[in-house]
Amino acid sequence: MVNQIAIIVADGVLLGLIYAIAGVGLSLVLGIMGVVNVAHSAFIMLGSFFAFELFRRLGIDPIISFFLAFPVFFGAGIVVYRALITRVEKAPQTQGLVAMFGLMVLLENLGTIVWTTDTRVITVGYTNTSTLIGSMVLANVKLIAGVLALLLIAVFWAFLRFTLTGRAIRAMGQNRSAAMSVGVNVRQLSAVMFGLGIACAGSAGVALAMIFPFSPNTQILWLAWAFLVVILGGLGNVGNTLIAGLVVGLIQTASTAFIRFDYVYLVLYVLLAVILVVRREGLSRTARRGI
Amino acid sequence: MLSVFFLRSSERRGWRAWASVALWLAALVALVLYGMFGTGLFFLSTLGTVFLYVVLTQAWNILGGYGGYLNFGMVTFFGTGAYASAILFHYFGLSPFLTAPFAGIAAAIAGLLIGIPTLRLRGAYFALVTMIITFAVQILVLSVPYTQGALGIYMQPVGLTPLGVERLFYFLFLGLAVLVTLLVYAIEGSNIGWALVAIREDEDAAEIIGVRTTEVKWIANAIACFIAGVVGGLYAQRILYLEPTGTFSFDISLNVVLMAVIGGAGTWQGPLIGAPLVLLVADALRVTFTSEVNRVIFSIVVIVIALFIPGGVMGLLNRWRQRGARPVSAPASERAD
Repeated sequence: MVNQIAIIVADGVLLGLIYAIAGVGLSLVLGIMGVVNVAHSAFIMLGSFFAFELFRRLGIDPIISFFLAFPVFFGAGIVVYRALITRVEKAPQTQGLVAMFGLMVLLENLGTIVWTTDTRVITVGYTNTSTLIGSMVLANVKLIAGVLALLLIAVFWAFLRFTLTGRAIRAMGQNRSAAMSVGVNVRQLSAVMFGLGIACAGSAGVALAMIFPFSPNTQILWLAWAFLVVILGGLGNVGNTLIAGLVVGLIQTASTAFIRFDYVYLVLYVLLAVILVVRREGLSRTARRGI
Repeated sequence: MLSVFFLRSSERRGWRAWASVALWLAALVALVLYGMFGTGLFFLSTLGTVFLYVVLTQAWNILGGYGGYLNFGMVTFFGTGAYASAILFHYFGLSPFLTAPFAGIAAAIAGLLIGIPTLRLRGAYFALVTMIITFAVQILVLSVPYTQGALGIYMQPVGLTPLGVERLFYFLFLGLAVLVTLLVYAIEGSNIGWALVAIREDEDAAEIIGVRTTEVKWIANAIACFIAGVVGGLYAQRILYLEPTGTFSFDISLNVVLMAVIGGAGTWQGPLIGAPLVLLVADALRVTFTSEVNRVIFSIVVIVIALFIPGGVMGLLNRWRQRGARPVSAPASERAD
């Protein structure tokens, strides 16, 4: 019994780390730039296929792809920022939302054209191996993906906390015009921020691909998870996002233990509605009424 | 020439306003005549689908176009209506023609369930939740016993000739499209319409001058969902077989947004232009392209419209009309917006 609980907790924590990196990019782009990136999960999907293609064609291990994906998707994020976001930044939010929705549909369908709707998995040498920790048996892929996720979050947190660029980005999130007036290059930093958000999505996609089966047309599911993490953790704060991810992961594994797998998604949505009703700003203190 | 269609008759009742009304009426009469005497099954069926989408897009337009709260999951409410009438038929033998209002009520309840938590908040919560909720509803329909899961529900065909059936739905959806368009036109000039526009333009200001923003959004959403549910109920009778993945297909949500955005959200003419444009082009493209390529093309169109032509076709026409009416060298401040 104790052992079972320990496994549920460990599994939940590892899953939660993955959910946290799926959500952190969305949270930061939303909180700091105010851009509702509904295409976030489409980039997660592209990240999964990035790892899939590198593994299939070149035999590159997903662990390496995880690090490769970051700069590649950072570049993609900058391109999207320059092409799309700069044009709708000053427009009403709905216009940006429509544009990002268009991008999401575009990416999903390009994905479907290239990779079809087949569900894919990445099977590496260590996929079906596991490690015995104490009396718990944990799948190696989950451990690896969890560690990678934790690493990414730690680097991100340190970047925002200690570097000058990170501080400037946080300043921009707190007060855009004040940041501008003390000499922060808001435009350039926004591009960097958006690039980082997409880079996070790409790397998260690689980590997800190690554990879960994926296909282009189920990417919207990841938007649901990422959004739940964002709602729970509030906007623009890495630490809170991590905690929210862990909570979501634990809830998922705990409910999987008791109810049918399909219904877990329903638990997720009920949770979403409850949080929206009870605490409109998420569980953190960052009070912001609008997204 | 075409621009006479799109005059706001409330602004001034000149000859152009009357010409616009006359042209819309002429189009309606032509459609009615075609419905009565046309025998092309394919065209009747395609036009029937166009009308169905006009209704859905008009419904979307109420909150999405005027209020600026985008519903990315219209199919959730459409499908709820379809399943409500299918279940009523399956277990109680009631015809969807009778139960369509109940299908609408079921969808409106679903709309309130989603709207009450999300529309209390500003910003994109509503858009995001409607976008991801379809998936949950699909899983629910697949797992709950009443809906027979993936097996689906069969409906009883109407005892008419194929042509009769097509005509029946042609006129049913045409009638609904006219009704809903009139409703949206009425809303546009009503208090609730102005309240919605105020919410879209500046929600703080709207609240300060006394608009009950949350309630207005709830009502607008419930009306939209009700309409979607009624159409869904009738749609169930039209396609005769419901199963979760097809009924809750993301395509329907996508089409509705496409049509509204391309035609021009926030105008009553927008859906009337957008729905036929998108569907007929999609039908023409279907011959040569797969549906994915189709969607790629349309999503690029949506991005382009969002970036460069806010307001869609109607926005273009309005701008073109205003350019004709004003002196060519408008002040720079006016040109900016």
